[in-house]
Amino acid sequence: MLSELLQGTDSGGFLIIQDSSSCTGRHLLKSFINAALNREEAIHVLGFEVSEEELGEGLTTSAHQRLRFHNAYTDPLGWTDNLAFTVHQFGLEELTHLVKQTSHPKPVTLVIDSLSWILRHVSPPVVCKTLQQLKRGGAVRAIIGLLHADMHQTGTVGSICHLATSVITVAPGMKGDEAVAKITKRSKSGKVTQDEEIFSIKEDLTVIIQSKPSHLEHKQADPEEQQTDPTANLTFNLRLSDTERKAKEKLALPFMFSKEKKTALLHSGQGSGRILYEPDANDDFDQEDPDDDLDV
Amino acid sequence: MAAPVDSVGKPTAERSPFNSTSFQKKTRSKLISIPGTRPSVQNGQLLVSTGVTSLDYLLGGGLAVGTVLLIEEDRYDSYSRMILKYFLAEGVVCRHELFVAAAQDNPDDILQELPAPILDDVAIHKPVDQPRLSCEPQDSLDAMKIAWRYQNLPKVQSALASTSRFGHYYDVSKTMEPEIRQAAKCHRFYLPEHPTQTSSYSALLKSLQEVIHREGFDVPRSRNILRVGLHSLGSALWGDDLSCHDNPRHSHALTTFLYGLRALLRSSLSVAVVTVPSHLIQDRALMGSITRLCDNAIALESFKGSERETNPLYKDYHGLLHVHQVPHLNCLANQLPDHKDLAFKLKRKQFTIEGFWFECSHVGATKNKHSSAMSAKEDNGPSPSPLID
Repeated sequence: MLSELLQGTDSGGFLIIQDSSSCTGRHLLKSFINAALNREEAIHVLGFEVSEEELGEGLTTSAHQRLRFHNAYTDPLGWTDNLAFTVHQFGLEELTHLVKQTSHPKPVTLVIDSLSWILRHVSPPVVCKTLQQLKRGGAVRAIIGLLHADMHQTGTVGSICHLATSVITVAPGMKGDEAVAKITKRSKSGKVTQDEEIFSIKEDLTVIIQSKPSHLEHKQADPEEQQTDPTANLTFNLRLSDTERKAKEKLALPFMFSKEKKTALLHSGQGSGRILYEPDANDDFDQEDPDDDLDV
Repeated sequence: MAAPVDSVGKPTAERSPFNSTSFQKKTRSKLISIPGTRPSVQNGQLLVSTGVTSLDYLLGGGLAVGTVLLIEEDRYDSYSRMILKYFLAEGVVCRHELFVAAAQDNPDDILQELPAPILDDVAIHKPVDQPRLSCEPQDSLDAMKIAWRYQNLPKVQSALASTSRFGHYYDVSKTMEPEIRQAAKCHRFYLPEHPTQTSSYSALLKSLQEVIHREGFDVPRSRNILRVGLHSLGSALWGDDLSCHDNPRHSHALTTFLYGLRALLRSSLSVAVVTVPSHLIQDRALMGSITRLCDNAIALESFKGSERETNPLYKDYHGLLHVHQVPHLNCLANQLPDHKDLAFKLKRKQFTIEGFWFECSHVGATKNKHSSAMSAKEDNGPSPSPLID
């Protein structure tokens, strides 16, 4: 599933890469940026945590030129009067204005590095509202965000991930350069799919996906064993072949009349049989008085 | 004997021409006969169906008019959303009015996803998965092969106009026809369309009060019911930090809203279903007070994403259902469900909620091929007898 996500989120998609201090997700984020740039898409990066040079390491020069980096690294809170992007500019109108400035015909993918930085300075409900508006609006086609899960309270992480269409949680793997990705994807119809994969990232930012972790394979073998077919080991045959089914259809059942007789029976059924009942003295049967000797 | 009060002014639309009996109950009681409702057998309260017949049984026959049902959402909000849609679809079928409020999705989108009701027909013998071998035209006279004597009898309850039935079944794979949906009156509240400086909950409460007053649901002689569906209250999109912080700053916003909501509902002919993402709210005391402020409270826990998904004990079900609160309205004690371990399964035509028994033969099942084959043979009846059909 990781490769599908790398090939491009559909429009209106919001992808979150969740990492922790034990395993960074920035390399995966750079792989996503690299994959999108190779597809000739328009990428805007809001860089709060690392500088432009560091983010561009590993990208080819042509790709690097196509990347639009909004520098929020040097002065994120606007202390000096630089024209840098500040964290207080994280709002729908300003972001739309920023993105439209570049006059790119294609819809834009917005990469946020990182959401944790914004959550530190802007209250979470406001961030959620802005992200939801961006998801709905037309200026931005897809959003990819990096979130450091151990920097926030569980409720905050949960609220932000609740808005996302896909969440990738990165954890350290067995070997040195490997990492385990737990992916949860929600489709528009409400279906939720989950997957777990081991991957590693090469120097040129391509992702190699290895086999799934072993304990997951073990569990998958079990449910298949228990489904036995009840009609398999019987001494009689419960199934029908085609010729047998045709013969069954052709069989004339005892009360299957021809069409004329059916209509005759159906239409004459009204009022032809009436029950005439004249109550008799003997019929006056009282349940509570079987001997008929009560003096009523 | 004096003529009963009701039959004089009875609207003709209520008497479906296809009723198999002409019996009409003569009653002089003060109970208002509103389509889609029935009085409770326990305490005489007016009940409406939630759309899910299993849930109606759990709640003591149905949802009492004037109460709030709280649904604690499952992790990915799939099943709680489904129950909300069932509730609204039932309102459309019973010709009640709807009020839908949401902050995340447009209420119009929710209304377009309502499941299609299943109309009752006389059972037609139709081989579904076998190919049609007869080449004669399948007109209505030949539709029944074996039960052909019943062809000319009128079909029972074929039209939606027969709202005398309580609780309908829905087909989840199809959405409701636009004609049926548009016949019902829907009021919408979409939060991004109401940018307010004050709390979003007070805007919602004001809007609801205005709708109730304008449509006349608080007038004593009101003849219809308003179904209120509130999606995902308490989430961050409502401007509330209940689900974001462990110690929320405005912890009283949602609780005051629920208090006001219940007051509004008690004084009008309305019923509300509220979903809350309780898995995001960390403060358990707050969650407890939210539960106390609603009359009925259930919590859904879906197996998706947890380790229980692959547990063979739970393989027949989609999740667990916990009943946290059942109200006692106008009586001393309430009717709790007999069985406390409940599990639910969303099938295409029904949302079933069943009591769940732990089978001893499953505990300690090893991964040995031999023993798993043996336990498969014993596995004929792990499903317990359901609480209702």
